[in-house]
Amino acid sequence: MTLSKFNCFTIGVGGQGVIRATHILADAAMAEQYPVRTAETHGMAQRGGSVSGYLRFGKDVHGPLIPKYGAHVVIALEPSEALRSVQYANKETYYFINSSPILPLSIYQNRKISYPNLEIIEKELSKITPHVHIIDALGLAEQAGTSKSLNVVMLGFAVGSGIIPLKSKTIEKSIEKFVPKKALQINKTAFQLGFDEGGKIHE
Amino acid sequence: MSEKPIPKIAQDDPGYKMIMLGNEAIARGILEGNAIVAAAYPGTPSSEIMPAVAQCAKYHPEMKVEWSVNEKVAFEVAYAGSMCNVRAVAAMKHVGVNVASDAFMTAVYHGVRGGMVLISADDPSQFSSQNEQDNRYYGLHALAPVFEPSTPQEAKDMMKFAFEYSEKYNIVVVFRTTTRLNHGRADVVFGTIDKKEQTAEFDWDRNRWVCVPSNTRPQRADLLHRMARMTNDADEFPFNKLVLSDRTVNGKKIGFVAAGIAYSHLQDALVELQLENSVSILKLGLVNPLPPKSLEKLLKHVDVLFVVEELEPIFEEQCKARAFEFGLSNSVEIHGKDLLPQQGELHPETITAAIAKLCGIDYSTSEVPALEISAPPRLPQMCPACSHRNIYWVMKKVAKKLKKKFANNNDIGCYSLGVYKPLEMADTALCMGGSIGMANGMAKVLPDDVIVTAFLGDSTFYHSGVAPLLNAVYNQNDILVIISDNSFTSMTGGQNNPSNGILLTEEVGTQIPIEEVVKGCGVPADKIWIHEAYDMDGLMEKFEEAAKASGVRVFINRHMCALQELRVFKKQKVVLPVIKVDPEKCNGCQVCVRQFGCPAINFNFETKKAYIDQSQCRSCKTCIYICPQQAFYVEK
Ligand SMILES: Cc1ncc(C[n+]2csc(CCOP(=O)(O)OP(=O)(O)O)c2C)c(N)n1
Repeated sequence: MTLSKFNCFTIGVGGQGVIRATHILADAAMAEQYPVRTAETHGMAQRGGSVSGYLRFGKDVHGPLIPKYGAHVVIALEPSEALRSVQYANKETYYFINSSPILPLSIYQNRKISYPNLEIIEKELSKITPHVHIIDALGLAEQAGTSKSLNVVMLGFAVGSGIIPLKSKTIEKSIEKFVPKKALQINKTAFQLGFDEGGKIHE
Repeated sequence: MSEKPIPKIAQDDPGYKMIMLGNEAIARGILEGNAIVAAAYPGTPSSEIMPAVAQCAKYHPEMKVEWSVNEKVAFEVAYAGSMCNVRAVAAMKHVGVNVASDAFMTAVYHGVRGGMVLISADDPSQFSSQNEQDNRYYGLHALAPVFEPSTPQEAKDMMKFAFEYSEKYNIVVVFRTTTRLNHGRADVVFGTIDKKEQTAEFDWDRNRWVCVPSNTRPQRADLLHRMARMTNDADEFPFNKLVLSDRTVNGKKIGFVAAGIAYSHLQDALVELQLENSVSILKLGLVNPLPPKSLEKLLKHVDVLFVVEELEPIFEEQCKARAFEFGLSNSVEIHGKDLLPQQGELHPETITAAIAKLCGIDYSTSEVPALEISAPPRLPQMCPACSHRNIYWVMKKVAKKLKKKFANNNDIGCYSLGVYKPLEMADTALCMGGSIGMANGMAKVLPDDVIVTAFLGDSTFYHSGVAPLLNAVYNQNDILVIISDNSFTSMTGGQNNPSNGILLTEEVGTQIPIEEVVKGCGVPADKIWIHEAYDMDGLMEKFEEAAKASGVRVFINRHMCALQELRVFKKQKVVLPVIKVDPEKCNGCQVCVRQFGCPAINFNFETKKAYIDQSQCRSCKTCIYICPQQAFYVEK
């Protein structure tokens, strides 16, 4: 084990599976013999609030929080949520962003608040890093069989891109552990669809 | 038939490694330490401990577990276990300890028979709490030892050890954690489940267990001796660690004192600055009392001491006091809250920057350009089909109709979210049960054109709403109490409670209808209204009646928590009717999104029509009622 540390920040909206995705990666990192730490927001997860999962692994990892500017990867399951992660990003951070928005109710409660469109989000984040990738993960998840597998499509994408230093086999094994039997095939397909798309980012 | 396999957490498989949530690791420690009694009241970030303990109890039937109705009862249940010679644990969030404190403060005088641990889950940064009090103070306040783990592995190991320690020193151990520990995962290696011979028996020792002053005066003297012994032995505490380094940083020997998650962050910061091997560190697992000899060694060894602790300067003040005692005030420079915030959780980069500044190290991180846009706020909200929203809507309409104002004393539960737009229906909220208590006081002083109300949920009513309701009846304080009964303790994750009568173990207990309790408190039957929350017409009519009446009266708004009901629907494969918006009828008034605020309703600003997000809609049909144009309809 030589990897010093790897920091992956996942963010989305309650119900999208941020915590599950973080847990799957944590399990896979453990299976590859790394010390692992995560931190997760639980309390408000079911109330449509913003949910984030910090994942860290590597021989020099001690605490569960990703330091400012410290994320190697940001996985955003919702586009505007990606903007909430900028404090963890730096010029080498990879952004993997699902393209389908979930509108926050705040846009109806304050006329000054509006939901930013996808091109603007992409353009803004590109000021920080050239590695901003937008994925139609919802489309792929539906193709796999259910929109609920969106988080696994995103995991597949991140792994397929080669940016996450874990083997896809290990992650697939972890998915098997945490996904209920009857949804397993769908999730395997979801992972593969994401993985194949992720492999294209270097083309 | 295929039996469900025993969950890993309950298996006697020492050496097995798995990713565990901090709270699961604590539960595993409770099992490995062979606790027999475990009682708790839910509260973030402690809530996942008990379900995990209950999973263990299923396969270790000597364990007795329960959701108690409040933290004081949970503490007393566990403490009685200890009195009866078996190991016991009570778990709660930090403010829960306030509720339990009356029992706790005297229990330490009596001491323990079976080892007893009180888990206090603190919440720096107030992720989901009303305050961020630092419960390490309870150790100083009560003369009790306080343990604080820094990783899930330590949480498990220290929990197991805590029972032994408790028995050795005849004291209740406070086990303090913080959110990042409770709600963080890490690799944890299992230990053995050490079953020891524990026979529950009571000793009828009246001179010990009865809190009359003739007993507790000598016990207090003994407590001081016990604390002195714990202090004396603190240097040998297995989860404390003193590392001294002779190296210097810019000509000075630097030392640190830290515990818990702050210690993990400190390690990260030292790695970042490449100082891991150049500084001295006293890592504390026992955060009260502090180890006197280690502290003396450290203070004498270094030129600069930096205390890295979250929230209050508890170690810092003690370090300064010790330095003074040892006559080191002029030889060691002590820092703490001058360099770190006293509010909110600590972040690794804050510690890194503070150390860099203190040591005169150049540390700058890459600058990242500021963006011109930010994410729109996404506050937590009441779910689609939440029954609380319905009664709030009705209350607003009735206030308008009667041309009266409600002074709505609110409480702690999902309904607290009613403070936000668009409903803005909570006027005060202080602590659990506080709604009725404060309404009592307002009723005494406010003029008649204000209707004084208290608004709370079922779990909160059982927890601490009964006493203030009795108070209102007894003192004839004219209040309207609204109990929004959704049958679950929802805010903290949907735990069972007396409203549904199901136990922590999922076995059937005794259901206690709220109206029966209310009647028992002396509220006359004609001052009690009960109504189904999805029937908006009826709700409106009955609530108006209740608002107009006088005297102590109780309105029970009832519908199962929508999240739980959805689970039932899924299990029973219920097909819900589809609700839609008729674009012909929708005139774009936006009452649904700007005044009602169901998360399943959206508005298309281009077509100027409302529409329903079918993936979120739970078909409660309330939108059909609230729409002035009657544009919502059930698809046939
Ligand atoms: C003393 C104390 N204990 C526990 C909590 C954690 N807590 C927050 S809300 C809540 C219960 C809410 O249940 P209920 O009143 O039934 O309302 P619901 O969330 O179901 O709407 C609890 C236990 C707290 N804030 N204070």
